[in-house]
Amino acid sequence: MKISADYDRCEGHGLCAEQAPAIFELDDDAELVHHFDGSDIPPEQLAAARAAVTACPVAALRELP
Amino acid sequence: MRRRHEVPVYRPDIYSPQAILDPYPHYAKLRELGPVVWLPRRKVYALPRYAECKAVLLDDKTFVSGDGVALNPVTNRLSRGTTLNSDGEDHAARRARVANRLTPRALRAMTDVVERQAAEIVDTALERCTVDGVEVAAALPMSVVPDLVGWPEEGREHLLRWGAATFDVLGPLNGQAIQAIPDGLGMMRFAHTVAKRRKVLPGSMGDDLLRAADAGELAHAECPALMIDYLAPSLDTTLSAIASALHLFATHPGQWQLLKDDPGLIPNAVNEVVRFESPLRAFSRKVARDTEIAGTALPAGARALVLYASANRDALKWDDPDTFDIRRNAAHQLGFGHGTHGCAGQGLARLETQAMLRALVARVDRIEPAGPPEWARNNIIHRLGRLPIELIPA
Repeated sequence: MKISADYDRCEGHGLCAEQAPAIFELDDDAELVHHFDGSDIPPEQLAAARAAVTACPVAALRELP
Repeated sequence: MRRRHEVPVYRPDIYSPQAILDPYPHYAKLRELGPVVWLPRRKVYALPRYAECKAVLLDDKTFVSGDGVALNPVTNRLSRGTTLNSDGEDHAARRARVANRLTPRALRAMTDVVERQAAEIVDTALERCTVDGVEVAAALPMSVVPDLVGWPEEGREHLLRWGAATFDVLGPLNGQAIQAIPDGLGMMRFAHTVAKRRKVLPGSMGDDLLRAADAGELAHAECPALMIDYLAPSLDTTLSAIASALHLFATHPGQWQLLKDDPGLIPNAVNEVVRFESPLRAFSRKVARDTEIAGTALPAGARALVLYASANRDALKWDDPDTFDIRRNAAHQLGFGHGTHGCAGQGLARLETQAMLRALVARVDRIEPAGPPEWARNNIIHRLGRLPIELIPA
């Protein structure tokens, strides 16, 4: 499973980073850093990743098959 | 598929004066009846459960806002031109124009100032023995938001009342809404004057808007509605969250102790407060084309009522939903809405509420109830009207 991020939509609320800190991070400028952009989410991170997708307040994250 | 005559019906008025003060028992009955419940008094399909609320919020092409999100046609007409009341490209353009000033990214520069103001507010409150928690809760939004939006000093004394009225008229046209009309119009009239006479503070969001209008990026006539858009919802709502936090921690001393022991819980505590006592009850959406929700047919033109406050207490989504527990993962609460129309000011609301909790945790040993709290009456906003508490210094 991959997760796509719509960087234009992202406002930097940081809820994804709270849910899945190994996958998402906000850098010093509060810009989203997606550590697995374009690559598969490691199996042990799937639950946290899905929680991050559904927590994003502006629906900027999407689960891809 | 269920048709209209097969949909469960709930006859009591969830907007009666009594139901407004104590809505949760009604929401529980609605959730029990099913995922879609017809409210004959208001002629809407209520969505009391979490899954359907979220699905509708994410499908903004079928469930549109452009014909209004209120429960009455008068307000839906009057609110044309606002961000709340638009769809697609129009909405994206309106939202982007002001929301970029409200993202956590843009607000980082304000964090220190907000934290300092929160500390001063708590210090002042500690000088008195008993305080009204609602006054304490109002202080930070009132000192932060009008400056940010650029509202002139003149007229600020009316802002809370006007803001509350602007929400009240988004309910059904009941006595509550009708009483609020003069104050709702007061806000609109003042916003027009502010825009026309260019009374906005330099460098503020309002100033940005007027300059953009000068540059031809939008019409001057659009400015008042957009100013109201960002001013009205930013006071009462955050006030509600901060006051509810004070009330909940006063009545749940064990939870307060958890927060004192681990201030790292503060961001999630804010989510849990907003889940447990959601500042916004509900908004509606118009159904743009024939569709279905959870096996119930909804015809084009119908209205669906997204009950955020009920979704946030849905046992299908939350374990033990009627228990206030800052340790649960409350990040998925719908109190700020969700998706395209999700609250544009939630970054600011989180910043303010977290700053108040940080200031309290550092200075206050215990929060104790000092009399019965009273809830305020408003069709949309669920908030305390009076909250006698005692702050015991650390």
